[in-house]
Amino acid sequence: MLKNKIDLPHIILFLMGASVILITIGIIQTLFFETWGFFEEVAESRGWFVVKWDLGGIFSDNGFGCVLIFVCVIIEYLFTKNPHWTNNFPSLLNKNKNLMMVGISLFLLLCLFFFESFWVAVSLVCFCLVLYRISIIKDMHTRKANNKALWVKSLLFFLGIIGVLNSITSEFGGALGEFFFQTEWLPSASCPDRRSLCESMSFGVNGLLLTTMQVAFGALIIAIPLGVGTAIYLSEYAPPRIVAIVKPTLEILAGIPSVVYGFFALIYIGPLVVKLGDIFYENGWIDSTPSVLNPLNGAIVVGVMVLPLIASLSEDALRAVPNELREGSHALGATKIETTANVMIPASLSGILASIILALSRAVGETMAVTLAVGTMAAFTANMFLPAQTMTAYIAQRVGGDLPFGEIGYYTIFAVGMYLFIITLSLNLLGNKILEAYREAY
Amino acid sequence: MVDLSKIPLKSRKKRDVTEKFGFFGLGACALVGLLFLCILVWQILSPTIINGAEGEISAVNEYITETDFILEWYNPNWDAVNEEIITEEIILRLKWEDTNGSHIHDLEVRVVEERYIEGDVYINNLGVSDTIINVSKKSHLTIYSSLEYPVEILQTKGPVPKADEMGMPEAGDFVIETDIHVLFDDQGKPVFTAQDLLAWSILFIITLIIIYPNEFVLSIIEKLARQKYIIWGVASLFSLISLFGENFGLKDGEWRGYIAVFIWFLIVKSIFAINSGIKRLRKANKSLSHKLALSQSIINRDGLLLGNWFLLFIGFWTIPVLIDSPFFVERYQNIFQPYSSGIRAAFYGTIWVMSIAMVVALPISVGAAIYLEEYAKPTRLTKLIQALVTNLAGVPSIVFGMFGLAIFVKEGGFGWGLGQTVIAGGLTMGVMAMPIVVLASQEALRSVPRSIREAAFGIGCTRWKVVKDHVLPFAIPGILTGSILAMSRIMGEAAPLIVVGAASVIYFDPEPFAAFTDSKFINFTVVPVQIYQWTGLEGDAWKSMTAAASLALIMLLVGMNSIAIILRQHFRKRLLS
Repeated sequence: MLKNKIDLPHIILFLMGASVILITIGIIQTLFFETWGFFEEVAESRGWFVVKWDLGGIFSDNGFGCVLIFVCVIIEYLFTKNPHWTNNFPSLLNKNKNLMMVGISLFLLLCLFFFESFWVAVSLVCFCLVLYRISIIKDMHTRKANNKALWVKSLLFFLGIIGVLNSITSEFGGALGEFFFQTEWLPSASCPDRRSLCESMSFGVNGLLLTTMQVAFGALIIAIPLGVGTAIYLSEYAPPRIVAIVKPTLEILAGIPSVVYGFFALIYIGPLVVKLGDIFYENGWIDSTPSVLNPLNGAIVVGVMVLPLIASLSEDALRAVPNELREGSHALGATKIETTANVMIPASLSGILASIILALSRAVGETMAVTLAVGTMAAFTANMFLPAQTMTAYIAQRVGGDLPFGEIGYYTIFAVGMYLFIITLSLNLLGNKILEAYREAY
Repeated sequence: MVDLSKIPLKSRKKRDVTEKFGFFGLGACALVGLLFLCILVWQILSPTIINGAEGEISAVNEYITETDFILEWYNPNWDAVNEEIITEEIILRLKWEDTNGSHIHDLEVRVVEERYIEGDVYINNLGVSDTIINVSKKSHLTIYSSLEYPVEILQTKGPVPKADEMGMPEAGDFVIETDIHVLFDDQGKPVFTAQDLLAWSILFIITLIIIYPNEFVLSIIEKLARQKYIIWGVASLFSLISLFGENFGLKDGEWRGYIAVFIWFLIVKSIFAINSGIKRLRKANKSLSHKLALSQSIINRDGLLLGNWFLLFIGFWTIPVLIDSPFFVERYQNIFQPYSSGIRAAFYGTIWVMSIAMVVALPISVGAAIYLEEYAKPTRLTKLIQALVTNLAGVPSIVFGMFGLAIFVKEGGFGWGLGQTVIAGGLTMGVMAMPIVVLASQEALRSVPRSIREAAFGIGCTRWKVVKDHVLPFAIPGILTGSILAMSRIMGEAAPLIVVGAASVIYFDPEPFAAFTDSKFINFTVVPVQIYQWTGLEGDAWKSMTAAASLALIMLLVGMNSIAIILRQHFRKRLLS
């Protein structure tokens, strides 16, 4: 009997499975220890965390924006308590929701264009959100509205707190403060002693993070309509002959190595973007001549790269919707496009959302194409026609030269890598969670 | 019910328009991907095809600036356009200056009709080894210099090959060119092993018969298969001739004899397998023209077919045909002369890195997948493992590279101290491939019908026996497909290997186990890293070289993917039938 209990294959296979845990621990401990080394090194000369308070900031335009956000919180609270107050509002608010949406969108665009201060723009956006919610609250049952309002309130509160902190602190210093809050990334400034770090170096990772986000979200702006459109077309409309063309195309697109995409961006998309940038420059919308290497270039090429991912995952989500829903909608006399818009997309929304989140994670972690397309000069600027550098590109560029272990340059790549790892891992966790949830739903 | 006639016409029209718009709009969305692919392929192809205008130079100058340098000149005096030898002789003037003053030597190059004569010229302190040299048309002239001074080579007489302004040969002439020609020996006779070709073609015919059976041919095979001993005898005779035959015997480093033995073995096996199928058909009173029944009645048909195709593929390389692609297998990277550089080191580096990665990753990941699918109870630990696998597959590749840098490359701490070697790169890639292969294998295991497991349990198999004998044989094709796809995915990854330390320029073939020996040649590089490095270089020449390397990489990947797709189709057909 005892012999039967020792199942050798079981144990061996378990150890094989457990190697995944080992790898994960290895990755995390590697990144953690080297990142710790980085912060320690920087902290030796600058301290761990320093904040300079400037209470006068509350009276600036940023402060004004934050006050507006808190006003929004109060309005939201009052209206969810007593929905009947909406009767006092003009009928426009109550009746025409579509018009309301158009108006809000226009208003948002205006906000983003005309307000120099980021926080004023954010607060106006919040204000619009609250107005829109008030217009729909009336239709809801009070308790339901309350439940749904919870995330809005917490979001607004969160934004407000961050805004206040942002407006009343003039500077974050020290190792942590510099890394997470400053915007200048100058890790390889010339120092008298090459191995140590000096005052002229600065490690504000936001200079890299902003470009990464520009590239990733720009890629999503391109890839979401195309990818989701492709998925809908493939699952709802396409005749088999076109499916036989489109699906292998997507597979090939997914299979092309990223460095080839980078080369493509360099020789083809870059010059096109420069032409566009010249038009912008002539009209005075940007204040410097465009360069071949720029975040827009990277955004386009990464958009093409993540398109197959979005398309295939969204198509899976659409195919998972039971046929009864589709047929029911057709039976009620809806056309195909109405069925798609009103039944299929809402039913598979979580799957599409998950695909978008996973694509975002892929876009953030993309390295070679971005290195070749975006350039290797870290810059914190909203102008997407100038060369910049993403987080992954920094790692690839820095490590491409000879990099002695234990130097500050060696530590920086791990600090940046840790940040990247945390971002992508949380995005992946979120995306996979949503995917699992929708798999269980049907 | 809505009465259709009561709906206003305008609204109906609006609906029709939106419907049409939706159809065409979404279709356009779907085709944008195709458009992008076309542009991409065109952009990559065009630099490798376009011919520049003819240069206006009168002579080609090459400088040997370093000592112990080798100058290789491909196809001198060969007019590639008209495919004929230019009868004018070429005269090269070799000039150098040393402490004894300047030296000038003229070297006459003649191209002769005979094949495979290559010219070697040696320059040393005593002068030049030859004044007249013969080369054949498809070979190259090599000049070795062992001087300590730069040597200038000037063409003073003879036709000038097509060249651009820099004096470099043109893109169209040089980028990936592949020649397939049958090998000839010095007497002009083909180097031909008849029995190999015989074995190969018989196997090919038999494979075709298995796939497309014909009644007449089958009846012949039926008669043939009765003479068991004769067949075995003939096959072993031919095998022995292939192995030890006097004229054809194994030369050093040749393995075609062993392959011929395998081929003969499979031929006999296939004949008997077909015969068994015929016998079964006869027992069931069915006619031989019933193709589907025959294909199902042949024992182990798919295994045989797979083996046959595999051997045919390998055997193809042993047929004395030379596939000559200098860009791939002959030329190293050459920083100074774009058109005479190639991806040899990177190509072999890629192959080594992939092999090591797969050897490391495949057993562990298939084991992990079996554990997760067959053994694991839904405890917290297994859920954690599953979640980790899913999320590791989405971690950016560069993070794996940093993991490899800190664990495999670095010495001290947790580092293994392997250095920037092939094996460190391979291990890193293996770790990266692991989650992908685990997910693919899990998918394959999940698709095995539950009834098979239950039937095996029902007759008292242990869990391991069920997995080994019943589940795995069903799942292996899926696992194979998944791992080939994973392999092709990590083959294109440059980022982790850049972090691990793939060198950008090396002039030797990478040695896979250099980490454990005292070898000086520890560095390695792979094709994507080579492409990345070439994109950084200025000039149209490098652009076309990069495009050529990209094309080569894409072709490799597409080849591997299509193998995976063919395997998938093949086994899917088997499962359906």
